[in-house]
Formats: sequence, structure tokens, C-alpha cells
Amino acid sequence: MLSRVALRSVVARQSAPTALVARTSATDACGVRDEKNFPRPVRGEPGKVRLGFIPEEWFQFFHSKTGVTGPYTFGAGLVTYLFSKEIYVMEHEYYTGLSIFIMVYYATTKFGPKVASWLDKEVDQIETDLNQGRVDTIKTLEESIATEKDAQWRAQGQELLIQAKKENVLLQLEAAYRERLMNTYQEVKKRLDFQLEKAALERRFEQKLLVDWVITNVSKAITPDQEKQTLDRCIADLAAMARK
Amino acid sequence: MGFGDYPKEYNPSVHGPYDPARFYGKPDTPFGQLKLSEIGSWLGRRNKTPSAFMGTISRAWWRWQHKYVQPKRVGMAPFFQLIVANMIFFYSINYGKMKHHRNYKYH
Repeated sequence: MLSRVALRSVVARQSAPTALVARTSATDACGVRDEKNFPRPVRGEPGKVRLGFIPEEWFQFFHSKTGVTGPYTFGAGLVTYLFSKEIYVMEHEYYTGLSIFIMVYYATTKFGPKVASWLDKEVDQIETDLNQGRVDTIKTLEESIATEKDAQWRAQGQELLIQAKKENVLLQLEAAYRERLMNTYQEVKKRLDFQLEKAALERRFEQKLLVDWVITNVSKAITPDQEKQTLDRCIADLAAMARK
Repeated sequence: MGFGDYPKEYNPSVHGPYDPARFYGKPDTPFGQLKLSEIGSWLGRRNKTPSAFMGTISRAWWRWQHKYVQPKRVGMAPFFQLIVANMIFFYSINYGKMKHHRNYKYH
């Protein structure tokens, strides 16, 4: 326990820059990145050469002093000097070298362009293979951005849809309210109609019963004499009417 | 500075990614722009420790690599350069033996 606490305090005392200095052995690890004087190295084009291997700069170095043919004159003169003084000795290996040179020259001029085009294709293939992962990742991310935008667009559509649904619900509520209102009206009307019908029926029965009662009582009150007098009177009236 | 370390002057937060072909110390006048009278003092200012020599050779090697070997589409030039350099090197180390194959006595 205690040892761990001690270790932690030691780690806390060492700040990050000290660790960096220990790794890079630089004077001070802090500083501003100098992009102007120390730009990021880029992969350049291959340097130009003449005669297969001599750098173009060598010829440029001669141009201002000797003119265009100077470097060639210098080279030829140097070789002549080396041969003539036998600093370069033409022993048996020299002729071996000549024959090898002829073979290499022939092979380079004959098969060089084909090999170069094939190698260029291979280089392009390797580069595309190396870039493929990055390209795929970028494509995937772009696709997901497009999907996300589509989803946002759909979400906006959802808002419209929800608004429409809310309106629909309001319409349904309105319809239900009106339906209930109508129901209430009809129920009230039904009850009032019933009351009206009941009252009318009662009055009809009362009338009927009263009429029946009056008739029976009246017909009960009529005596045979009165009936006879009435009949006679009727016959007399009929006779009087017939005479007219 | 031990083996495999970066040069003392290299500071990653200022210089960015390490370029092995580059000299990170204080730049002096380039040798090609010197006057003849200044060559002595120029040589006197040079660091002549073995590690500095190794650093010079290493930077030259990497400059050649970046210029002729590492570009995307190189031709046969770096291979021919290597062959020619090897021919000169081996001829010079074998010169003592080659001398006996001379065809002429007087030049």
C-alpha cells in the first residue's frame, strides 16, 4: 500500500516535458512548429541524369564556365588521360566489362520501356491498395453523412406528420363532440316526444271515456216516452221537409 | 547522444517529422559559396568528431536516397550510379594489383 503511494507521488513530481526530453535528447521540447523553414518533406520526382547515371547538376555546373560541350570534353579528356597514362589499366577484366556493358545497354534499351511500364502499373496498384482503406473510410463517412442528412430530412417530415396527426385527433375530437351533442339532442327530443305523445294519449282517452260516460248516462236518462216523442217529432219534421 | 538517438538540435515540436537528409544544427555558409581565403576558417569551424562524420555520411546517403531511389517512378539511374561507384571503389582498392598488368613500360 505505502509503496504504491510513494510511487504515485514520484510519478506526479515528474512532469511530462522531462519525460519528452529524456526520449528525444533535445534541448527543450516546447516550441512553436516552424512550418516555413522546416516544411513537411514531400516525395519528389527522381533527379535528372544524363548518360544513364551522371546527375544533371554536374552538367549545369560546367555550363556557365565551359559551355554546353564542356562537361563532355572534360569527361573524354579525363578518360583519355587515364587510359594513356595507364592509370586505368586495360587488362583482361576491362574487356569483360566492355562485353557486360554491351549486354546491359542492349537489355536496357530493348526491355527497359516494357519493364518500366509494367513497374509503373505495379507502383500505381500498390499505391491504390494502400490508399484503398482511407478512400473506403472517406466513402463510408460521406455515405453516413448523406444518411444522416436524409434522416434529418425525414425527421422534418415526421414533424409534419405529427402535426397532421394532431389535427386529425382534433378533428376526431370535434366529430365525437358533435356526435354526442346530436345524441343528447335526439335523446332529449325522444323524451319530449314521449311526453307529448303520452299527454295526447291521456287526453284522447279521457275524452273518449268522458264521451262514453256522457253518452251512456244520457242514453240511460232517456225514457221510452221521450224516445217516442222524439221519434214522432222527427217523423213530423221529415214530413214537413218532404212537403216543401 | 547515444546510438540510435536523434541529433541534439532536433526538436520535434519545432521541426516536425524527422528528415534524415537534413542538418538540424546552425547553418554555416555553404562550401560552394566560400572564397578561397575563407576555406581555412570554415574548416576550423567544422565539428570533427566521429559522430559528426557519421552524421554527414548518413545525411549524404539519405539525400541520394530521397533524390534517386525513393521517388515514385525511378529509372535505372540509381542502380547505374551504384554500379559505377562500386567499380571505382573496387578498382581503387585493387589498384596495387592492377598496376602489374600494365601493357606499356613508358607513358
